[in-house]
Amino acid sequence: MQFALPPRRSLHTLPGANSSRLPLYRRKQLKTIAIFAFAVLTLLYLLSRLFSSSSTSLSPPAGTAGMVIVTLLDRQSLSESYINKIVTNREDYAKRHGYTNFFASVSDYEEAIGDAPRSWALIPAMRHAMATYPKSKYFFHLSPHALVMNPTTSLKSHLLDRSRLESLMLKNVPIVPPDSIIKTFALKQKDVDLILTQDGEDLSPSSFILKNGDFARFFLDLWFEPLFRSYRFAKAETHGLDHIMQWHPTVLARTALVPQRILNAYSKDSSGASQDGSYKDGDFVIRFPSCDEGKARDCDELDPYYSMWSKKAKST
Amino acid sequence: MSLSRSPSPHPGGGWSSPGLTPGSGASTPGGHSQATLAPNGISWAAAKAKSDEVRKYPSFSTRNSGFFSRQKRKISARLPSFRGQASRQGYVDKDVYGRGQLHAGGPGGCGPLATLKMGETWKTNEGYVTAIVQLYRRSPLGGGPKFVIILGSNVEGGVMEWKGAREWAIERNSIWNKQQYVKRWGYQLEIANMLAQKRYSHEWRESWEKGDVIREVMRKYPHAEWFWWLDLNTWIMEYGTSLQSHLFNDLDSHVYRDINEYNPLNMTHPLPEFFLDDLGRALEGDGNPDSLSLLLSQDCSGFNLGSFFLRRSIWTERLIDAWWDPVMYEQMHMQWEHKEQDALEYIYQSQAWVRSGVGFLPQRKINAFPPGACGDGNDPAVHYQEEDHDFVVNMAGCNFGRDCWAEIYNYRAISSKHNRSKWEWISDRLGSAREWAFGKKD
Repeated sequence: MQFALPPRRSLHTLPGANSSRLPLYRRKQLKTIAIFAFAVLTLLYLLSRLFSSSSTSLSPPAGTAGMVIVTLLDRQSLSESYINKIVTNREDYAKRHGYTNFFASVSDYEEAIGDAPRSWALIPAMRHAMATYPKSKYFFHLSPHALVMNPTTSLKSHLLDRSRLESLMLKNVPIVPPDSIIKTFALKQKDVDLILTQDGEDLSPSSFILKNGDFARFFLDLWFEPLFRSYRFAKAETHGLDHIMQWHPTVLARTALVPQRILNAYSKDSSGASQDGSYKDGDFVIRFPSCDEGKARDCDELDPYYSMWSKKAKST
Repeated sequence: MSLSRSPSPHPGGGWSSPGLTPGSGASTPGGHSQATLAPNGISWAAAKAKSDEVRKYPSFSTRNSGFFSRQKRKISARLPSFRGQASRQGYVDKDVYGRGQLHAGGPGGCGPLATLKMGETWKTNEGYVTAIVQLYRRSPLGGGPKFVIILGSNVEGGVMEWKGAREWAIERNSIWNKQQYVKRWGYQLEIANMLAQKRYSHEWRESWEKGDVIREVMRKYPHAEWFWWLDLNTWIMEYGTSLQSHLFNDLDSHVYRDINEYNPLNMTHPLPEFFLDDLGRALEGDGNPDSLSLLLSQDCSGFNLGSFFLRRSIWTERLIDAWWDPVMYEQMHMQWEHKEQDALEYIYQSQAWVRSGVGFLPQRKINAFPPGACGDGNDPAVHYQEEDHDFVVNMAGCNFGRDCWAEIYNYRAISSKHNRSKWEWISDRLGSAREWAFGKKD
């Protein structure tokens, strides 16, 4: 026989059947325990994050500079007074911002370079700086024929801040000027390991920033490849760099190109600058490319700018 | 019957290889018989059609659409054919083992029909279990999809896009061997077409395809972690051994990172340059097996890329990128006889960053050689040892003065013996007991 409605549930609980509801005080007790357990777990998680991040991050521990400025000096071809000017300029800048200087000598790397032009020494010098300061996060290579003209500008605010770097980055431009078919990527700041500039003809290795890590080791070792050095590129390591950027996407994919004046403004007398690549007052760095080519032990072109910098350094 | 043109390297016509001659399915390498038009004779056109089936495997499309590719049908139509009663499929594939029918009372059988029935029931139940196990292994939980085997093949043909019977047989067997292995463990198999090698023109890099192929396969299998490259002349001997148990569950104990342990090229390790960091001058890299991205073995003349593993990693991307460079190639391609192999040896020597990601395995772990490769003797460090059940044999250099098919045939037979199921083992034992008791049947 079927009923139109299901039978009513009995009001009387059967003997032995437990009530599905927990007593109120028991529920409150469990709630308190759950909240307490959650709080403890959250605290443990936060502590573990704190300690693990401090041990694995590339940011330097106390007493170590986050930025190392690498300057390669050829003591055979530069006069002592010229070297002193460059060293003074770098030391003043490093002291202001808590950076470290690494002064390398070309003669230290002669054996490694072999028969190749001496300018290739900048690569083992960078590798050497990274080996000497393994906890530092950034390495800034600056040519010995360049001066920091704006000593109050820190590299962090000038270039390395996320929003700043992403706004400065040159996106989808030929990697080697004027018309390379290989173009730069649009990158996020966290994906950038190498910051470079171009002049009118090539990429410029005279002033660049490299982030410490596996990429830096890979990039420097590839660039210093003996077969590249023996290939007799017309502009040695500069053309070697041009070549790598055009043929090796794993390097290009970690490289940001910024306008020349941000990191590598050329002096007014230089012919090879990119459009709007010549020095204007207030620019961070000035470079003297003609001094690279000249055989003079003193780069006379530098003197007026050195005087300007001295005044500025004293007044700030 | 005299043939106007022989379809095989053997002057008398017919198949010149053991296992390819009709009626020689169980023959051993060495002797060969003349082709006879047996009732089960193999027709050339049917054999060709069967061989063409290889193209159905996933492969990289060839860049070559030369004269022979276009004219293939016309040419093969004019070839002489063996007249004879064809099998149901038109082709009896004698060269692939494990396809024979089990005849009750035959030399390999066990006599009474009841035993056979019992065995079949057992096999059916075993089949269900196997299917479930294989399904599990193919799932991400079972770890199968983490591994991809890349088989460097040449699907279209050899010189002038034409391959002899032996080459087709080697290829089919080798592919079948890898398919059996991946099916068992739930791995992926990618057959890479290595045909497109413009050998004598420098606008195409001469057979430098490994890097490109691996990059493509990594793109195709985005969830795989390890990629195992195998040359065509290799044979996986032990189907019952998974890559996990053989290597990856305890990678650290199998690998050596200090090349000085076995250094046939006498490379300087670690690099002496003072300007390198600790990692660049470390004997054992960072000592962490998780940083290993390339596993390979060395033979008597240096690195051997007949069988090697690459892990999906940033390091691997960089290696593949650095492996071929036009400036390096332009200066060295005449000296680098072994192409990628020599280039890899070179960048291992010259670029410090490479060393930290490379691990070496004892040769017999993934790349045992047959006698004749690296010496005619039986060097226990190099040559295949049957009693130790070595995992893989690489018939390296067999096409230079040795017989690839004979070697593959030999190792195929050994492998077949090693990989018998319980039922086959019992069946063989009963068969041999029967032979012992009643004498061998003619």
